[in-house]
Amino acid sequence: MSGESTRELHPLESAVLSWLVSHSPAAENELPKNCGLDAGSCRRAVQWLLSRGLADAESSEVTISVELGPLGLENGRKGFTPETAMLKAVAEGAKDLRVIQEDDLFDRGRWGSAMGAMLKAGVLRRGPEGLSLADDSGGVFARIWEMVYLPLLNGSDLTIDSLPRDVSEEVVSRAPKRGRARAEFILNENASAFVSITEEGRKALRESLGKVTIGRLTREMLASEDWRKGTFRRYSVDFPPARIHIGRHHPYGVFLDAVREKLLAMGFQEMKGPLAESEFWNNDALFMPQFHPARDIHDAYYLEEGVKVAAPDRATGERVKAAHENGGPAGGRGWEYSFDWKRSLRAIMRSQGTALSARTLASNPSVPGKYFGIAKCFRYDQVDATHLPDFFQVEGIVLGENINLRHLLGLLKLFATEVAGAKEYKFVPAYFPFTEPSVEVHIKHPELGWFEMGGAGLFRREVCLPLGVKVPVIAWGLGLDRMALMALGLSDIRDLLATDLSRLRAMRFAPENLMGGGENA
Amino acid sequence: MPKIEVPLSDLLNMAGLAEAECLGEMLEPLKAELDGVEGDTVKIELNDTNRPDLWTAEGVARGIRCQREGARPRLSRMGDPAGEIHVSKDLCDLRPFIAAFTAEGWEVTEDGLLALIASQEKLASSFGRNRRTAAIGFYDLRGIAFPVAYRTAPPDTVFHPLGEPVEMRLDQVLRNTESGVKYAGLLEGFSMYPLLTDAGGQVLSFPPVLNSNSTGRVDAGARRLFCEVTGTDWHTVNLTASILACNLEDRGAVIRPIKVLYPDGRDTVTPIVYRDTLEAGMDAIASVLGIDPATLDIEELLGKMDYSSVKVHNGTVRAVMPPYRRDGIHEMDLIEDIAISRGLNSIEPLLPPDYTVGRAAPSETAARWVRTILVGAGCEEIMRPILTSSDKITGRTRSPEEPVKISNPMTAEYAVVSNTLLPALLEVEAASGHAVFPHRIFTVGEVLRRAACGLCETSVSVAASSGDSDFGEMHSILGALCHYRSLSLKLREQDDPRFIPGRSAEVLIEGVPAGIMGEFHPEVLNRWGIGVPVSAFEVTLESLR
Repeated sequence: MSGESTRELHPLESAVLSWLVSHSPAAENELPKNCGLDAGSCRRAVQWLLSRGLADAESSEVTISVELGPLGLENGRKGFTPETAMLKAVAEGAKDLRVIQEDDLFDRGRWGSAMGAMLKAGVLRRGPEGLSLADDSGGVFARIWEMVYLPLLNGSDLTIDSLPRDVSEEVVSRAPKRGRARAEFILNENASAFVSITEEGRKALRESLGKVTIGRLTREMLASEDWRKGTFRRYSVDFPPARIHIGRHHPYGVFLDAVREKLLAMGFQEMKGPLAESEFWNNDALFMPQFHPARDIHDAYYLEEGVKVAAPDRATGERVKAAHENGGPAGGRGWEYSFDWKRSLRAIMRSQGTALSARTLASNPSVPGKYFGIAKCFRYDQVDATHLPDFFQVEGIVLGENINLRHLLGLLKLFATEVAGAKEYKFVPAYFPFTEPSVEVHIKHPELGWFEMGGAGLFRREVCLPLGVKVPVIAWGLGLDRMALMALGLSDIRDLLATDLSRLRAMRFAPENLMGGGENA
Repeated sequence: MPKIEVPLSDLLNMAGLAEAECLGEMLEPLKAELDGVEGDTVKIELNDTNRPDLWTAEGVARGIRCQREGARPRLSRMGDPAGEIHVSKDLCDLRPFIAAFTAEGWEVTEDGLLALIASQEKLASSFGRNRRTAAIGFYDLRGIAFPVAYRTAPPDTVFHPLGEPVEMRLDQVLRNTESGVKYAGLLEGFSMYPLLTDAGGQVLSFPPVLNSNSTGRVDAGARRLFCEVTGTDWHTVNLTASILACNLEDRGAVIRPIKVLYPDGRDTVTPIVYRDTLEAGMDAIASVLGIDPATLDIEELLGKMDYSSVKVHNGTVRAVMPPYRRDGIHEMDLIEDIAISRGLNSIEPLLPPDYTVGRAAPSETAARWVRTILVGAGCEEIMRPILTSSDKITGRTRSPEEPVKISNPMTAEYAVVSNTLLPALLEVEAASGHAVFPHRIFTVGEVLRRAACGLCETSVSVAASSGDSDFGEMHSILGALCHYRSLSLKLREQDDPRFIPGRSAEVLIEGVPAGIMGEFHPEVLNRWGIGVPVSAFEVTLESLR
């Protein structure tokens, strides 16, 4: 309170007080003109003064001003109302409405109602010989023209209270509350307060005289040290600021960065690979037989004829081929079919991030080693609320001499608790064509319940041995889409890639909580 | 993944469960998921693509029952063959294999009939590759006289197909029946078609298309069935027959085999009772599971997975897989089944013991740096799919370079692979006319260039639009990127259909062509329906590294 009442006067406040000091009480609606301010600034200044006790407002009184409506203005241009025109016509000898109606100054209906009103008021009289004047002065109908139309047309202000009772009643009756577009008169209620300066106001004004109030601090003031001669105007610090749009990372991008950061923190090394893959790295190297249902044409996007991708080195290729045909270096039976090189070298859009793991295994990886890749993948799916034509997968491998199922479970537990922040998780037996044993980890979302977060397994020896890896390898993958939707609080996956900037600007995301916290649904 | 729908009551009944409450949990060891229960229908998704036996109600029920009751002998009491099938030589190239059996003593119920048809459809479509490698027929055994002939017949052979009002020729069946149209492709290019006839000469079926309307019709109430599987793949045909025989045995039927005589003189008694024996060393079990196998009751654990003849001898476990399974290749299969039977949640997790160093891919580190600088320059990041349409690239944006096409696109909307990210930025501008200006947007993402197919290439694209965005603004932003990377930037005037003549340039970074910059041509803006001027640049991430 004290801070508010003792602060320096704002220039707007000074301007209003300077007028009030010699003109109190002053009508508030006159103030802008008298203080040289625009209406908005003046209103704000008066509010500030009132709230600081530097000015008082006296009980306001309501005045009603009269204005000409569209119909009134039209009458003004014509120089007549239908009534005054009719009075003139009758005075000049017209006896019959039909004769008067021949003048199309007004339409027939308005002539008719004017006559009706004047007959009723006793200004006109209708005898056997026709219309005649009963009141030569024209009564209230003539006075409305003189007392209302003429001053308003001259630009004067007029309040309803300043009119004789019969005239004011007639004006009110012709000022409809609705349908102003066809109104003759419009009435405006003005609650006009009277503002006076208070003792504190006089004191504040006195004290401010001769003082310099500094608004914006300028270079010149700093150089000349003029700022020492004045006092800084105090701000209303909580005044709502203008909204700005800042440069910003995409929320989904932030999500992916958060996942990357967590994996780096766990000692994983990042893998990269091409978008366009051969079926060899995408499928064959992963011991997925060439007749596997997931390899049918409708599950992957094939590139146009003539687009070539590089072949694997010959020795690796031969070992993979043998694994498919008869087990090769891995023993067992293999898939017992004749491997097709042509198929193996077809170019497709990478359908699984595991292709990166296969390439890494074949390029002499570190043992022990941990690898991950956040890879764009492509599946032949109808685009809808749960499917995008391309999406990110995070997959990887862990290599080590003594890796076993318990480490696989440990890794999945780490993903559940560290990456997703889950409190509850469980392991479920799973099937992936290239791992055995295979396990999924399901985690419990506080609101949405259990869902599959990711899976892992020990790569089959038919995968590892042909690619030249002899130690056990855990292959793992996490479902990113679902987690991203939960993290961002979205329900339609297409919103992740929204085109509308205003929609994007409304999306919020807290990267420290991948299980939720977004409120963008 | 195969999905099946089965009647809940039938499944519970077969599985020996009183209620559906813990069904989801009971399905987990089968690598199956409960997709939902609607009225009396259960939807189940089977994740193991090598276990066709589980793609049937009987198979799922059997899996659940074994977990509680242990293994049972399978197809162990089959007697002598109930009849013979003679396979003719000219089927060799067409559809050479057949397996068959009879099932008697189980009265087909309504539920049972539905389950039979569902298994027939699911196995033939998923495991039998849409009836190519295996197709299934059920018959009322009463009308069939053995031996049955599996032979070929000319297209004008006449029979009465199941569900049709009249007799038809085989070629008419292919043209004029629903099934015929669907599977005609399997017989394309052949002048003779497969036919199954009995000793009396009556047609049993026209495999793999349609049964006959007489013997090939099975109704509820039937007690004697004949089942055959034909196809192009020996393993698929025989495993399918074994699965179906086990299923019918579980329903209470007595299975009798059929002897199949092949034209080369071989004969096979079907269904084949597979007894794939798997072995695993105790040391292998210990090293894979990380558990001392001495603490495990391996016989009981494998029994719950329906293995028989389980023996632990000389540090080795030997066990025989049930006849409906042929997915065991080596010891790992046996070890996994031990782990599943034991329960994954009862095994204590361990963290991988080795210390490794985390390291981001250099291109990702560079991308992150570029994105951060661009955000600092006031740009908002956008993300769009990589698949797009050629209309957006060469049509609306007038990009001079043709993108790589997808040969099997699902829609024209996603029929090419982006080779430039400028259309993505324009697409955002086109959708954001009402969003408060100014707009400064960017995207960093992978693209596929025709010239560099099979290599990773990442593009950095920036655009700005407002009343006074122009070439200079783009030049400034790229200048800032190059400045903080100590790279030299030079622009060389180069006209480009995307940009206003005289207001576009080739970007040279360290003297090497790196991309383009310009003010979009009004015609391009017009094609996108954009009402404000837009300027942009696109360079390779590589050029900024």
